[in-house]
Amino acid sequence: MATLNEKKTCSQRMENFQRFVWNPDTGQLMGRTLINWVWISLYYVAFYVVVTGLFALSIYSLMKTLNPYTPDYQDRLKSPGVTLRPDKYGEKGLEIYYSLSSNNSWNGFVTTLENFLAAYNESVQRDNKNCIGEDYFFQNSFHPPNHTKCSCKFTREMLENCSGLTDPTFGYSEGKPCVIIKMNRIINFLPGNGTAPKVNCTTLEENRLVDAHYYPANGTFSLHYFPYYGCKAQPTYVNPLVAVKLLNISLNKEVAIVCKVVGARITSGNPHDPYEGKVEFKIRIKN
Amino acid sequence: MGKADKYDMYSVEMEKPSGGDMEVKIKKKKKGEQKKEKLENMKKEMDVNDHQLSIEELEMKYRTNTTKGLTSAVAEEILLRDGPNELKPPKGTPEYVKFARQLAGGLQCLMWVAAAICLIAFGIQCGQGDLTSADNLYLAIALIAVVVVTGCFGYYQEFKSTNIIASFKNLVPQQATVIRDGDKFQINANQLVVGDLVEIKGGDRVPADVRIITGQGCKVDNSSLTGESEPQTRAPECTHESPLETRNIAFFSTMCLEGTATGIIINTGDRTIIGRIASLASGVENEKTPIAIEIEHFVDIIAGLAIFFGATFFVVAMVIGYPFLKAMVFFMAIVVAYVPEGLLATVTVCLSLTAKRLARKNCVVKNLEAVETLGSTSVICSDKTGTLTQNRMTVSHLWFDNQIHTADTTEDQSGQSFDQSSETWRALCKVVSLCNRASFKSGQDNVPVPKRIVIGDASETALLKFSEITLGNVMEYRERFKKACEIPFNSTNKFQLSIHELDDPRDQRHLLVMKGAPERILERCSTIMIKGQELPLDEQWKEAFQTAYMDLGGLGERVLGFCHLYLPQSEYPRGYNFDSDEMNFPTSGLCFAGLISMIDPPRATVPDAVMKCRTAGIRVIMVTGDHPITAKAIAASVGIISEGSETVEDIATRLRIPVEQVNKRDARACVVNGGQLKDMETEELVEILKMHPEMVFARTSPQQKLIIVESCQKLGAIVAVTGDGVNDSPALKKADIGVAMGIAGSDAAKNAADMILLDDNFASIVTGVEQGRLIFDNLKKSIAYTLTKNIPELTPYLIYITVSVPLPLGCITILFIELCTDIFPSVSLAYEKAESDIMHLKPRNPRRDRLVNEALAVYSYFQIGAIQSFAGFTDYFTAMAQEGWYPLKCVGLRADWENDHLQDLQDSYGQEWTFGQRLYQEYTCYTVFFISIEMCQIADVLIRKTRRLSVFQQGFFRNKVLVIAIVFQLCLGCFLCYCPGMPNIFNFMPIRFQWWLVPLPYGLLIFVYDEIRKLGVRRHPGGWWDKELYY
Repeated sequence: MATLNEKKTCSQRMENFQRFVWNPDTGQLMGRTLINWVWISLYYVAFYVVVTGLFALSIYSLMKTLNPYTPDYQDRLKSPGVTLRPDKYGEKGLEIYYSLSSNNSWNGFVTTLENFLAAYNESVQRDNKNCIGEDYFFQNSFHPPNHTKCSCKFTREMLENCSGLTDPTFGYSEGKPCVIIKMNRIINFLPGNGTAPKVNCTTLEENRLVDAHYYPANGTFSLHYFPYYGCKAQPTYVNPLVAVKLLNISLNKEVAIVCKVVGARITSGNPHDPYEGKVEFKIRIKN
Repeated sequence: MGKADKYDMYSVEMEKPSGGDMEVKIKKKKKGEQKKEKLENMKKEMDVNDHQLSIEELEMKYRTNTTKGLTSAVAEEILLRDGPNELKPPKGTPEYVKFARQLAGGLQCLMWVAAAICLIAFGIQCGQGDLTSADNLYLAIALIAVVVVTGCFGYYQEFKSTNIIASFKNLVPQQATVIRDGDKFQINANQLVVGDLVEIKGGDRVPADVRIITGQGCKVDNSSLTGESEPQTRAPECTHESPLETRNIAFFSTMCLEGTATGIIINTGDRTIIGRIASLASGVENEKTPIAIEIEHFVDIIAGLAIFFGATFFVVAMVIGYPFLKAMVFFMAIVVAYVPEGLLATVTVCLSLTAKRLARKNCVVKNLEAVETLGSTSVICSDKTGTLTQNRMTVSHLWFDNQIHTADTTEDQSGQSFDQSSETWRALCKVVSLCNRASFKSGQDNVPVPKRIVIGDASETALLKFSEITLGNVMEYRERFKKACEIPFNSTNKFQLSIHELDDPRDQRHLLVMKGAPERILERCSTIMIKGQELPLDEQWKEAFQTAYMDLGGLGERVLGFCHLYLPQSEYPRGYNFDSDEMNFPTSGLCFAGLISMIDPPRATVPDAVMKCRTAGIRVIMVTGDHPITAKAIAASVGIISEGSETVEDIATRLRIPVEQVNKRDARACVVNGGQLKDMETEELVEILKMHPEMVFARTSPQQKLIIVESCQKLGAIVAVTGDGVNDSPALKKADIGVAMGIAGSDAAKNAADMILLDDNFASIVTGVEQGRLIFDNLKKSIAYTLTKNIPELTPYLIYITVSVPLPLGCITILFIELCTDIFPSVSLAYEKAESDIMHLKPRNPRRDRLVNEALAVYSYFQIGAIQSFAGFTDYFTAMAQEGWYPLKCVGLRADWENDHLQDLQDSYGQEWTFGQRLYQEYTCYTVFFISIEMCQIADVLIRKTRRLSVFQQGFFRNKVLVIAIVFQLCLGCFLCYCPGMPNIFNFMPIRFQWWLVPLPYGLLIFVYDEIRKLGVRRHPGGWWDKELYY
């Protein structure tokens, strides 16, 4: 063992290393002769070509098995998530903090809403169908020319006072701000079991109904927007929305509000996913 | 400190001409002044000259009196000054240091660093305000836990074996008879002081180093000190200038066999010769075990690769445009993912499994790593007495009727006996039985003869046992021949004589029997008995006698002559008053009966074991304190000097030329004695070791044993030392692995050793070698298995960074693979049988055959590991695509995916996902990737069963433990996946059944590919396959 333990000096180490990099006696470069390097490289190239080929083949056949319209499984999407606009996140979730006296403090919210609702302009949704039925809108066949299905129209006019058309400040300037509730879309998901799901906003602590106007009336998502058939079948589909105009927010006080979408098949009690079936936010309006 | 320095540190010079001289110069370098001084003192005290002083001078020197002893007051004073007369236990390492050592190995250090990196990464994340993921904290805690738990395990193992050793210690306090103030006392031996007058009698242990003043037939057994099996006479005369050789000093802890003596104590406690050897042993530093070196080498590789990968991807991340801190976190995560957390546990468990297996075969391993050392051993330096031999004199040859007969020397009397029909034999046997003062201790009728305890000296014991076996009840036989007179052996007469009445009532003659040194006996004989006939002892017979005597002596045996005489009834009737002082009876003109020679015979299992060591490519060297002739004879009989091998001297005698003219290279064997050794330069010794494959060192001192071991180590050999005596302990300590004898071994030897043979069976070493080699091979397999999965654990992260897919495999999941599911299979590889006859291979070359070599790492990482990664990614993309995320969608998705403010991220189908839903999907990916690695690892463990043979040749299900381990691994995988609550605790999701099947083709590919590789390696040994793909 003696020789193994021997401490080498730095120059010896360097010399050994140099010898390792290029050994003139055996013609070895980094421990191998050049031809050896070629062989081993070829071997590895061949090896990786084969294995990568196998990988590509399996991914290819995987893609072949997939249905382009509906996913195979929706294990994680048992209940839709609910989102809020404007979506400004603070330290602990969604926050709508602003002061009436400063335009700048709420301009951001207005822009967010305006941008969000741009997709709901009549001009964008010209191709969509005006649906009036009060039941699920099932479509079993595809339509030419693009092998798609119809989507129902949801325009911002339906949000009336919160459409930003009558009041371009969405009520922020007067202390009665609008927030928009959106339910995430899930393919073939039928919420409500025949009755339209409804948005219901309460205060978080006292569980007291919040004084608010809901648009469309009653704060319901019409059933004819469901089921969703996926972006390939319904490329122009837009999520139905519910706007909530909060009427009676006490000034200079933080209020925590939770808006639930109530309806059969929509759960909202998951402690690990706070956005499942409901959305919580805090609002504080200074004067 | 470099090896070369260490070597100088203990270079020893023998200044006086005698081989056993204790004057030692220990040159200290680079050590503290204080220690240097201490050692200088030690050196000074080694000059013992008390044996050359006259009694009066002694009395002066020690303020004592040779009749009255010390006065109690003086004794007490000296006791206060010198301390009690006992060996200080070698400075034990404090328990906490032992424990700390368990926590500070190479791998452990790597893991400490990794844990620290994790904590730093966690700190950075905290600093950035990211409180969501405590993965790095968990990882750090897990890493620390692994180190501590395996440390505790190793410590416990060591603690357990230390306890076994502690139990050997004899706790009964030794008593000694001392004369103080003119009165005799029995006091505890540890109360003795320098100058005390003590009495020693047969059966006592010598309580300290004693200068003999008076002695009657006192003999001591020095075998534990010098290796001489024969009892040594102790008498008041100074016979040699060396204290070790002179007759008037009896040494501490040697055994007084017979006779009585009084003496003055000249050294006590640690200042005794034994004490000094013991402290010499404790001064020798322990060598690093080969496996420790291997693991260090391996850690170097791992650390190097980890940093290489980490740095590469740090640069990549920076180039891609990640912020510096994020890139730093990536770098740390990669380094941590790369550390094989489970390896430490695997290695520890594998080693302790083997240790347990060895313990069942009576080898107790003190230091876990020593398990493997025996396997790498290329030289065994063995002590002779008590290790190779039985350490008891036994009758081995007889010469009567002008013929040498061989007696049975095996321990269990299973050997062949000689022809016992001759008349001469009966006469000889009578002499042997009657002319013997030794006797069995009573109450041992049921004990087999060789094991019975005998009162008497070694050669008389041997003769007694011999006649008991051949003749039957000797004690009764002696009673039938009533003893009329007796002269015990003394050094001037060199014979022993007794006169007996015959048991035949009609024959009223007396029988005179005599034994002694052969030449003296022959002088007194005028006739010789041949085939029952008394023939005149003429020149021809004398020559025959001489030849036989020389032959037996040449075998290293101690020869005794026997003769008898029937005294005429007319002159010596019954009741004649024989006077042993006057010798009023004839002591010449006797009838020569025969010669008997005795030797300390080799243990029965030794020749076979030596042979096996040879086939295993291990060189066995004998290093003994005994005489060269005896050593050579034993070496020849156990096969250390093989048949047909000659020493230089042998060649010289055969060719009848002077020794100087012999070409030294022709001699395979060589016997070197201590005297020659001390004149030799180290280079010369190394040269001799290189030149002669069969070596015997005789008359060596403990220091010289140390030098021999060091010289072997200089040659690059891994040296095992076996021994039992105190004199072996420095060498035991110096050796890469010291093996002590459990029964015969002294405490000093056991303390210095790494391994203890509980049954004193040298053959156990062969088992140890076999197990050591097996564990080396199996550790290689275990490590290859463990390393492979590092790549599929690492690639997800690399892809995550470079292609920005959602993270396929989480840290916690990696920990579960490393520390939970894969531990059992990797340990089960330790139960794998050897692939070939490992005992026919040469010992591994520690410089070339590394535990982890380039081929192993490259093959595991870049081939098997790569396939596993592909399997994992296939399964990952399958799970993602089937849930709605196409592979191409995944690319570049990371930022959105991990944005916890984005609650409506669209998948490939336009569905919207909240952050929580995405997180569970990510956990699903973790689980799927985990299952893929597990499935591939099952294929991996199957291919690792063998390195060269086909798995089918090795037996698919022969390793039951491995089969159980695979089943266990699957069950554990199922449990982790499907146990409720897992998603939120350990991030495991219940996954669909078909995702278990996705990696199966890859597993099959691994298996088939490796079979092809093995086929290539078997078909073309030495070819390209063998060189590049055999690990």
